[in-house]
Amino acid sequence: MHELIQTIVNGLTTGFLYALIALGYTMVYGVLQLLNFAHGDVYMIGAYIGYFVIQWFGGPTALSIPVPLLVAIMFVISALGTGVLGVAIERFAYRPLRNAPRIAPLITALGVSFILENSVLLLFGGFTKSYNTNEFISFNTGIHIGAIDIDSVQITIFIVSILMMYGLIQLVDRTTLGKSMRAVASDREAAEMLGINVDRVISYTFFIGSAMAGVAGVMSGLAFNQISATIGFLAGLKAFTAAVVGGIGSIPGAMIGGLFIGICEAFAASYISSKYTDLIVFGILIAVMLVRPTGIFGRPALQKV
Amino acid sequence: MPIGVDEWVAQHTDRRDAGTGWRRVMYTLEARVSWWPRLLIVFVVGLLFAQLNLNSNIEQVAINSLIYAILALGLNIAVGWAGLLDLGYVAFFGTGAYGYAVLSSGNIHWSAIATIPVVFLGTALFGAVIGLVSLRVSGDYLAIVTLFVGQAFMEVVNNVAPGTLGGVNGLFGLDPINAFGASISTPKGYYYFALIVLAVLMGLLHLLDESRTGRAWRAVREDELAAKAMTIPTSAVKIMAISFGAAVGALAGTIFAAQQSNVFPTNFTANILILIYACLVLGGAGSLGGAVLGGIVVTVGEQMVSSPTDAGYLFYGLILLALVAKVRPWKVLGAVLAATAVGGVALHAIVHAISPSATGGSPGSAGWIGHLVSHWVIVPTNATTYGNILYIALIVAVFAVVRVRESLRPFVLVPTLYIAACCWESRLIVNPSITAQILIGAILIGVMTARPQGLLGTLRVEVV
Amino acid sequence: MEGPFTGPVAQVGLEQLHFAQLAVKLDNEANGTDVTLAQDDTQLTPSLATQKTQSIISSNAVAAVGPAGSQEVEAVGPLFGRAGMAFISGSATLPALTTDGKNPTFLRVVPNDNIQGPQDANYVVNHLHPKAVLIIDDDEAYSQGLVKTMIPIFQKAGVKVNHQTINGTDTGATLANAINSLVTSQLNPAETVTMLPWQAAANAQQFGLAAQQQHKKTILFGTDGTNSPSQFKIPGSYVSNFGPDISSSNSALDKKLVSGVAQFGPYGAFGVPSYEAADVEMKAIASVCKSGGTPSRSNVLAAIKKTNIAPSANPLGATIAFKSNGDLVGQPGYLFKISSSGKYQTIPNK
Repeated sequence: MHELIQTIVNGLTTGFLYALIALGYTMVYGVLQLLNFAHGDVYMIGAYIGYFVIQWFGGPTALSIPVPLLVAIMFVISALGTGVLGVAIERFAYRPLRNAPRIAPLITALGVSFILENSVLLLFGGFTKSYNTNEFISFNTGIHIGAIDIDSVQITIFIVSILMMYGLIQLVDRTTLGKSMRAVASDREAAEMLGINVDRVISYTFFIGSAMAGVAGVMSGLAFNQISATIGFLAGLKAFTAAVVGGIGSIPGAMIGGLFIGICEAFAASYISSKYTDLIVFGILIAVMLVRPTGIFGRPALQKV
Repeated sequence: MPIGVDEWVAQHTDRRDAGTGWRRVMYTLEARVSWWPRLLIVFVVGLLFAQLNLNSNIEQVAINSLIYAILALGLNIAVGWAGLLDLGYVAFFGTGAYGYAVLSSGNIHWSAIATIPVVFLGTALFGAVIGLVSLRVSGDYLAIVTLFVGQAFMEVVNNVAPGTLGGVNGLFGLDPINAFGASISTPKGYYYFALIVLAVLMGLLHLLDESRTGRAWRAVREDELAAKAMTIPTSAVKIMAISFGAAVGALAGTIFAAQQSNVFPTNFTANILILIYACLVLGGAGSLGGAVLGGIVVTVGEQMVSSPTDAGYLFYGLILLALVAKVRPWKVLGAVLAATAVGGVALHAIVHAISPSATGGSPGSAGWIGHLVSHWVIVPTNATTYGNILYIALIVAVFAVVRVRESLRPFVLVPTLYIAACCWESRLIVNPSITAQILIGAILIGVMTARPQGLLGTLRVEVV
Repeated sequence: MEGPFTGPVAQVGLEQLHFAQLAVKLDNEANGTDVTLAQDDTQLTPSLATQKTQSIISSNAVAAVGPAGSQEVEAVGPLFGRAGMAFISGSATLPALTTDGKNPTFLRVVPNDNIQGPQDANYVVNHLHPKAVLIIDDDEAYSQGLVKTMIPIFQKAGVKVNHQTINGTDTGATLANAINSLVTSQLNPAETVTMLPWQAAANAQQFGLAAQQQHKKTILFGTDGTNSPSQFKIPGSYVSNFGPDISSSNSALDKKLVSGVAQFGPYGAFGVPSYEAADVEMKAIASVCKSGGTPSRSNVLAAIKKTNIAPSANPLGATIAFKSNGDLVGQPGYLFKISSSGKYQTIPNK
């Protein structure tokens, strides 16, 4: 029994990361109908920013500030950094192609992904870098019931992720910006005619989506220590799976999808074989697409004639 | 879509006929010379090229170019003609290669005369199954499903049946292409083989393009609903497009596997898919000549980056090309170049006078480019950190060039060019394999924003 | 030289590169030769190694150092063989490479896994006395080969074996999820030793941290792939390697090498065998020159086969001479224990 619960905890830890990254995919798809393949690399950059924040404050063994403050600063700086990066990517690589054939921004997205990943390789080398979280956050902090361990990093991940998701839902449902986002998502031209500054709304969307990926990157460093230039691709792919399974364009869909994929992976690794986890996840995706092409929470797309 | 755009495209012929000088000559040639003499010319040029005394490295690049050209031709069927965004194409390439590998190694050892048709038809069938999926989902969802088909292929060859498929370690020691006791054993042999396949394929595809099927594909691409209304069997047409493309991709896979004599899962990653897409969009989706040109340009470009001398030609050549294409009038272009050259030499002299060690390193370029730039770019003795800072500065500078007002652009351009050169000589050229990927990414973005239709493609208006 | 200079195991590749560069420099000085070392980055992938080998063969190189991985050697062995060009690896340990006859020009200065696997398993049986062991392979030939040699020894000694597999091509969060879940469901209390014959040291560290996080006690035992003091540093773990750690050695040669390599990059025990690989080739080229010949692929290969370097004249501490199949005549193996401060301490391997 405790094994089962521990496996769910493991799955949730990764699942929340997937969910946060998936939100970025889904928001961008919602307003632009663009598959932003560079998003996984934004997450990777976020992890690197967190790493450099730790180094800036003295490194894992000689921190000059209290740990909770450090973690907060890591989240904020990483979110700001990746948010700005996301806006820049949109401004530079996607906006000039707003009215080009659909394939064009897809290709530039792949180009951006190539550049980001290889820039990190060039600047920071191919070595994996380690947060060494265990040197400043002990495994003994957190909740331990019998053989079930939820350490404080995992608790932080759960709480921060849930808060961010709650905040995002409030933002989309309650604020003017959220309203504009929904307007742009449902009909960009009509929104423009109604006086909504579409470019600005898109920039905000990219900022928020990328900032969440940046936070996810820091969480991944804290929980799993190892970061490298190549972690973005697979994580991006998994989060993308999550977004699609949940219904791309749907915010609750991305969250549920992320958690679902994370838990599926953990169970596959625990009880089948970790060899087949990726195959199982991609199999789920293809099955969902065939049964319900718009995903679990997606609305069927209206075809305009 | 603003009113007037369609008319602008419609006037294409008029504007073309009214053209003057070399443009007009090119257009006339294009209109007068029929397709098969052009194909023949390309084929003969290909044959003549092989008569040159080539070293085996160039031979290898030539074979790879042809393989990528064939791959781009196959991708063009689904993406360029039928407008189906197939992101799992690399799985068909892989199926072809693995099919060939399994059937011509171990204890099977079929002759190529049996292997290649079996693999060809088998992959066509596989493609048709994936095509069936395209009926269920459309547009971006098709892209998503096919992307995961590609990933699933990787996972299957990595993890399933390691006894047959070799797992992570791949399959090696494959038979060369052989039939009736003879086999192709030299790189040149594979070059000729791939060239013949390419030429035959181009001929057939051209005929296909002009047939009813070809027209049906384009109709589906432009407007599926209208196509359906005109009694085109859109389902069958879409399945055919993906299936035909898959078969062509598999053909490229067999040549690839036979020539390399090994296959590995890493030969069929998403990076390879991106390269194939780069070939197609660079040449121009929808155009046969474009696909082949793209295949050659991308492969040769990738190879050039890995040699310091050639990489210099490519890098400085591309910059000059972009400047010539984008900076007008000529006076401004001249001024920008002169200012960059003179300013750089002056800056180099000043820095050298202040601190000799700051200019103590030698530029990464070899040959005459290295000599030419050695008193122009600043390369300190220990250049890694310096180069990294320059790289970030370069990204910011490029961003600034794109964003500033037209009138200020030349002034921003001068330092940008200089930073680019310094960064290239001190850092980028030192890591050719990474730089190659960065350049490919930059070229993809540049081509897409400057000329979305590719080098040989025609601009078309998408009905929204 | 072929090696993984970028990518996930770049650290290993760079240690190898720096030591090979040192060997070329020292031997050029000692013998008055002017040999240059070209670099070909293979990222530990057979497909890249194949491409790079094709370009090496078309160049005027007379011998090659590397590639690093066994699966790369399997891919490029026949190509080098056809070109009649010697290539010496400082880390490819798969036994079949020298026994299956497909790689006629392949040589290595490291013991093969038939030495390392049993050495490690015997050490565990004799010194750590577990009731059961967990063995996890990472689904690559290297890992599976080692596991195959270990399991019979454990079974013979009455130690229960729990054999699991992870997907070595996964990265980041996905890999961590798999490792955490393996620790949860597969690491049983009786399994006081866990064998990790993996390619990537960072993954072994991740496994150790996951065990600590879930408060499970097990002694980790890594093979050469996990030997990286900067990445795998779980106190109390054991790591075997095919190269010695010469950083604290007192011999004059070792001191010279440790200080000499600093100009190319930081010291790492992984690079030491590659020093010897390059050294063997440099000495062979020098001997061809001394006898008045022009170095060619065939005469350098012949000279390499005749190599005989005394234990005191090389950093491996054993006589360097090759059997006809390319293996070393005497095959040394090394073992380290990670101290509470994360330092690697050499311990006897018997």
